[in-house]
Amino acid sequence: MKEDGHQDFSLQCQKVSHWFGETKVLFDLNLKVKSGQFVSLIGPSGCGKSTLLRAILGTHIPNEGQILTMQNGELISADRPGRDRGIVYQKYSLYPFLTALDNVALGLKLDQTSALFRLFNWSGWAKKRKNFRDRAAVFLEKVGLGHAMHMYPSQMSGGMQQRVAIAQALIMEPEIILLDEPFGALDEATREELQEMLLLLYQENQDAISKSQKPPYTLIIVTHELNEAIRVGDRLVGLSQYWNWEEAGHDSPPGATVVYDKPSPIFKPNERPDYESFENIRREIRSYVYNPDILQSRNEYLMTKLV
Amino acid sequence: MISRRISRARQIVLSTLSVLLLVLGYTWISHRQHQVNPEDTTIPNWSQLAEGAVKFTQPDRKGQRWLVEDSLATAKRLAAGISLGIVFGFMIGMSMGCITSLEAFLQPPISLLAKVPQTAALAVYFVFFGTGMEMYVAMISFGIIPTLAVTVYLAIKDIPSEMLDKAYTLGASHFEIAFEVVFKQVLPKFIDAVRLCIGPAIVFLIAAEMVVGDVGFGYRIRLQFKLTNMNVVYPYLVFLACFGFLLDYMLRFLQAKICPWYQNNSK
Repeated sequence: MKEDGHQDFSLQCQKVSHWFGETKVLFDLNLKVKSGQFVSLIGPSGCGKSTLLRAILGTHIPNEGQILTMQNGELISADRPGRDRGIVYQKYSLYPFLTALDNVALGLKLDQTSALFRLFNWSGWAKKRKNFRDRAAVFLEKVGLGHAMHMYPSQMSGGMQQRVAIAQALIMEPEIILLDEPFGALDEATREELQEMLLLLYQENQDAISKSQKPPYTLIIVTHELNEAIRVGDRLVGLSQYWNWEEAGHDSPPGATVVYDKPSPIFKPNERPDYESFENIRREIRSYVYNPDILQSRNEYLMTKLV
Repeated sequence: MISRRISRARQIVLSTLSVLLLVLGYTWISHRQHQVNPEDTTIPNWSQLAEGAVKFTQPDRKGQRWLVEDSLATAKRLAAGISLGIVFGFMIGMSMGCITSLEAFLQPPISLLAKVPQTAALAVYFVFFGTGMEMYVAMISFGIIPTLAVTVYLAIKDIPSEMLDKAYTLGASHFEIAFEVVFKQVLPKFIDAVRLCIGPAIVFLIAAEMVVGDVGFGYRIRLQFKLTNMNVVYPYLVFLACFGFLLDYMLRFLQAKICPWYQNNSK
């Protein structure tokens, strides 16, 4: 890997601004994500976390600025959703008409065969389908669902569904996986299990780096749980509409931007974190990201060294 | 208590009881009528019904068995009309749901057409399609196309955009999204709509057969009613009911076979 080379980045947001009519959402947002990073995106509700995620996904193009994602080894404008970015939603994350196995295999099917091939080359398609299903089974094992391959989503619990959804995204080996409050609807215990699953992926990253290979997974996880953000992410990015915009020469709030960007402590999958010890980080985030009365200059808490 | 579960045995006893009551009630009404007028044919008793059965199962003077002729004619018309309605209703609904400009283009005529009572528009079909097979097919299919198209269209609008966006991240083309996601998601709801359309389709067909038919259930019922041969009319109504029930059952079976996930969902 080249030091600071283009190839190191999975995502670059450059001067991204977005508004809906009179409502200003995002302002001059800059964010670079390196391959292998697990970014926790946090911020008060309504700050535009989901808007940013959709902009990166390419379904909602920002009014100003540019979002580049790594597509086939080049940074290309993300103006439509594509197979280089995976998405895990909180709801509607699976196709109800497919079993767990076929939900995971769907990406391979859509990406690697065409409708014409499936329609006219039956024997070829049968062979490929078997191969896809075998590969999907491996990914389901990886997320701990080897026993539930032939269940439909309606037969699975919320936690199982999200595991399948993550496997469904992973199998595509995307440059970056976006998770939009993925565990928001789950109970505390299930949540922690799934966090551990993500930490297992992070460990694979670290193993790859130690062998000086490209880390396989890059993640942006939007969450409103600070503990989850600190535990899962290796980098905390706070988005907030509460920053000192008057100092920056604006008459009215111009929208949310990155006001906090720091490394986060790293945990092993089997390590039970002492949430008490997060208190300092939580307090810092609460005052600088969530508190409407504390308006700091927006460059104060940016991690300048990393990018 | 509302929707409390009952035992299987109790369910069977109650169902048998309701059928038994129907039969007994009919026998009693018919018996009372025959005490007033022994020659009565409006509410035939069981022996008169047996005579009727002979009439429509045995060859008549032309050597035709009514039940066979009528069933064939009606079933053919219905099958052709419903098939055509299914194909076009589905295609129109799909294109309206998937292509926004077609949605704007087709919405007015479809919603207007859906409001025209087909039985009132009979004359229009006679003028345009004559009184042959084409007319029956046209009126049945035109009668059910708007409902089917609107059902498909609304079901597509119901699909959360997340599902479609995600398919793009899995490498789908536009066509693949239409077939692999939209079609499969909409299919069970479409089968439900077809089930609901069978009733109206039969109504349209029988009405048309009553007016211009020379064979078929509608034609036979009207003719035998004029002769007050109710011992033919009543069994024919029962056959129609059984026919509708059978079609409905087949569609439900089909739905359970090809969309097993939908059954799971509704449980």
